[in-house]
Amino acid sequence: MSSAIEIRDLHYRAGKAFEIRDLALNVPTGSMYGFLGPNGSGKTTTIRLLLGLLRPRQGIITVLGGSIPREAPRVLARTGYVPELPHLYPSLTVAEALHFHAAFYPTWDWKWADELVLQFQLDRGGLLSRLSKGEMGKLEMLLALAQRPELLVLDEPTDGLDPVVRRDVLTAVLDYVSQQNATVFISSHLVHELERICDWVGVMDRGRLVAELPMHSFKNGIKRLRVLNAPALAGDTPFVVLSRDAANGSAETWVVRGWQPPMSQWFTGVGATLKEVIDLDLEEGFVELLRTFRVPQA
Amino acid sequence: MFRAILYTQWKWSRFPLLLGVLAGFALPLLSVQRVSSVTGYWQTRTMLASVQAWGILYPILGASLALLVGALAWAADHRGRHVYALSLPVPRWHYALLRFGAGVVLLAAPVMAVWIGGILATATVTIPTGLHAYPTMLAARFALAVFVTYALFFAISAGTVRMAGYVLGALATVLVVEVITNAAGAHVSLLENLLLALVVWPGPLDVLTGRWMLIDV
Repeated sequence: MSSAIEIRDLHYRAGKAFEIRDLALNVPTGSMYGFLGPNGSGKTTTIRLLLGLLRPRQGIITVLGGSIPREAPRVLARTGYVPELPHLYPSLTVAEALHFHAAFYPTWDWKWADELVLQFQLDRGGLLSRLSKGEMGKLEMLLALAQRPELLVLDEPTDGLDPVVRRDVLTAVLDYVSQQNATVFISSHLVHELERICDWVGVMDRGRLVAELPMHSFKNGIKRLRVLNAPALAGDTPFVVLSRDAANGSAETWVVRGWQPPMSQWFTGVGATLKEVIDLDLEEGFVELLRTFRVPQA
Repeated sequence: MFRAILYTQWKWSRFPLLLGVLAGFALPLLSVQRVSSVTGYWQTRTMLASVQAWGILYPILGASLALLVGALAWAADHRGRHVYALSLPVPRWHYALLRFGAGVVLLAAPVMAVWIGGILATATVTIPTGLHAYPTMLAARFALAVFVTYALFFAISAGTVRMAGYVLGALATVLVVEVITNAAGAHVSLLENLLLALVVWPGPLDVLTGRWMLIDV
């Protein structure tokens, strides 16, 4: 399986307060990779590093086969980027912004750009400084899509948008991916949004990658278990215990990752009883994952 | 690519540029208003003094235009913290060169205005015997002044806020050192020397000083 994005041993420091340490990340070609993490976890910094906007202290970044930052211009020509905050020149009109952007991308598709202008109901003569947040979000997405990229890097593209605009934007991305088999790297803290569209997920917190796995493994593998007479020390479990809390009497609630039904046998072996297995949705799993990650290690 | 950059820079700096073109065209014409009535020696001297007085405005106009066009070339990118420019598929040096080149092309307009204004001004008056008109030389000097100062201001405005802080910090340090050393009885003129280093040959701003004469001996 080839990788559209590959990061190894990445280290970056911004002042004394924040650093990205030993980051390794792998985005399979053709996948929709959801990059999850709370605000301030390092998602935007990682994106800026992988696009060559920032220079790492050490580490290897390869995007679309090109080494970053050395080959950044060549890679950026094949990458559509929607940043977290609007970054276009506010004194330009929509039409002028399209012409400016198109001049830098040899693969720019004017026919499709015109279709997207109509689809997104953008006024070509409208000044960017007077666009609403939703219109600006749609324009940013239009610019990223109309260059026909092999890789789309979307940094919180729907953050702050109303549900209608959010649907329009995500539909446009999904349409494009279905036509082009492009890779999409989308960051968000809106867990449910990614749950519906992504097939891979990476979770970032405090500058480190907490987990990276296929979405189905993430969704299906995290369970809440009701356990009676649980052993004091869990020992070598066939699953990862994310948290365990005392419930009523001898009952405990465990949150585990990597769960599969045959693993219930393990409880019998240690003299415990598994009373119930509860599915967690992605958001609950995400919260539990971060909670475990943040517990100081003994 | 260059046309796209040129267009944005034109849009950002078109008002000062148009004013600059008008002023550049008008300056030579205004400076020769009294030439046609000049006959005697003293009147010739007065006329030359008048041309010289108007001449002060050429470097002021050139430096102002260079400052505005240089600063406006980067203003929009500074507002967006350079994210857009950096995400475009061109190397950083190439992007900076495109922005610089666009400013040079735009500043050629007021230079041309000075040249055409100078030719027209000198063609419409009878120049006293012994004097000569220098519209092309004046325009060439104006061009040199504009482009040198533009390069300087372009480089300064391309810097980050942190870099501006370093420069201001360095200047403040020089000032403090000068005050302390002078208070101690040693007469050190660091700031004066710094200024002289900029405006006296081979300083980069030497081109702005001296006499700017459309008509001279």
